[in-house]
Amino acid sequence: MADARDRAVLPARAGIGLRHPHLPEFLAAPQPAAWLEVHSENYLAPGGPRLAALERLRGDYPLSCHGVGLSLGSAEGLDRAHLARLRALYDRFEPAAVSEHLAWSTVPDGVFLADLLPLPYTREALDAVVANIDCAQEALGRRLLIENPSTYLRFCRADWDEAGFLAELVRRTGCGLLLDVNNLYVSAANHGTDPLAPLDCLPLAAVEEIHIAGHARAATATGELLIDDHGSAAEPVWALLATTLARAGPKPILVEWDTNIPELPILLGEAERADACLRGAGHALG
Amino acid sequence: MRLAELQRLMRRTLLDGGRDPALPALLADPPEQRERRLAVYRNNVCHALASVLDAAFPVVRQLVGAECFTATALAFVAEQPPRQPALYEYGGDFPAFLARFRPLVELPWLADVARLEWARNEALFAAERESLTPARLAAVPAAELTDLRLQPHPSARWLESPWPIHATWDAHQPGGGPLEAVDLERAESVLVWRQSGSVRQRLLSDGEFALLAALAANRPLAAAAASAAERDSAFDFSVALARFLNEALLVCATG
Repeated sequence: MADARDRAVLPARAGIGLRHPHLPEFLAAPQPAAWLEVHSENYLAPGGPRLAALERLRGDYPLSCHGVGLSLGSAEGLDRAHLARLRALYDRFEPAAVSEHLAWSTVPDGVFLADLLPLPYTREALDAVVANIDCAQEALGRRLLIENPSTYLRFCRADWDEAGFLAELVRRTGCGLLLDVNNLYVSAANHGTDPLAPLDCLPLAAVEEIHIAGHARAATATGELLIDDHGSAAEPVWALLATTLARAGPKPILVEWDTNIPELPILLGEAERADACLRGAGHALG
Repeated sequence: MRLAELQRLMRRTLLDGGRDPALPALLADPPEQRERRLAVYRNNVCHALASVLDAAFPVVRQLVGAECFTATALAFVAEQPPRQPALYEYGGDFPAFLARFRPLVELPWLADVARLEWARNEALFAAERESLTPARLAAVPAAELTDLRLQPHPSARWLESPWPIHATWDAHQPGGGPLEAVDLERAESVLVWRQSGSVRQRLLSDGEFALLAALAANRPLAAAAASAAERDSAFDFSVALARFLNEALLVCATG
């Protein structure tokens, strides 16, 4: 098999998140996953068995590195030390795609809150995120894909809706997009908006990866909130995936299931279903 | 409100349990839903950080019970939240926090069990380094052995405790020894290291402990052996050295 490092882009097929419990199966035998995604922050340690496993698997599968900690929405710039560690990781593993979120996690005082927190979609926030993406793309020497978040609240002050804000980011920084269809669905349900509406506004040509994941339903005194929990994807989210593929064309799809991690065959079955969606949308598998 | 100020306000609300009405007032959601919506984020932040400690301190969690552990973890998180995003590094200050956390003052051994679990966490993620094999050491000319400088592998951690931390840890593993048999009066020294990708752990004799400490302090082999013999009259240097080599525990000192 040719070294997957030579493949410059992710194939327009279904990949899966590489999770620690599945490492032994991946190391024992080739698995029918078209590509793999890892959370960058899980591989920043200097050594150890997980890093060694990724080193071995990297030659056999195209790789996407998904950052969950860069905090592109931080008001006072990025953590330069963290950027340097990410750069070293990406230079070592040469992922075909590198992504982060439209969110913030690091407070200006340096405290890291370990969650993807929402931004007001204002002109001030746009300038801050643009400056941070410019800085990150420069420091990492790579184009970033930016993922739309699941949100549970909205701010009064807003100069754009989320899709308009993402479109501005693409226009001003040249970044690409990672479109999470579960997050689209969750946010629309939580804010009483149409989950299809963003597809009219987002620059779909900039979408280079799609995530599909699951959500939980939490009852509230006044109804319910949907909460992104990276479980098994719900039927309406699969339907939204099909619509998105019909509109956007074939894209690499990640089955993102990392709470109550299932047995590997179940996860691969979900990837099979995502591949079927690609075929159903009339796209030959790349 | 400026973005930086908003982010500080959200930190106070989500991490410190603040109830500043300034934040709900900034939201577009119906007033009666605002606290509930903020609570989703508060739960996410607390759950994410407590889960990091859960994963790093599973035996401490079993010793105090899940509910007590979560409450303790959240008290730690509020006092010393992480200051960088690589969360495998978060929790190194938790043992010291446990040692002075008043509600757990009746469990004086708990902090040392936590130190042992953190040593295991560090061993798992430590840098790779090729270990010295018995064959390579055998190839060193006898005249050079006295001044040879060997060092513990980067993953090695050695801990001394007035409590039976190894026995306590072992009693909480599948197939481990019975907890009732743990002698609380017994002091233990424990070695933790990584071999062939797995974290290993065993008791250390006083002499072995002294030998490792001396090698880590960059003492030449003969001087390190002498300091171990001084500490432990029953110490057999050649047996200890052979065991360390077989455990892939030693590397050649650099420079």
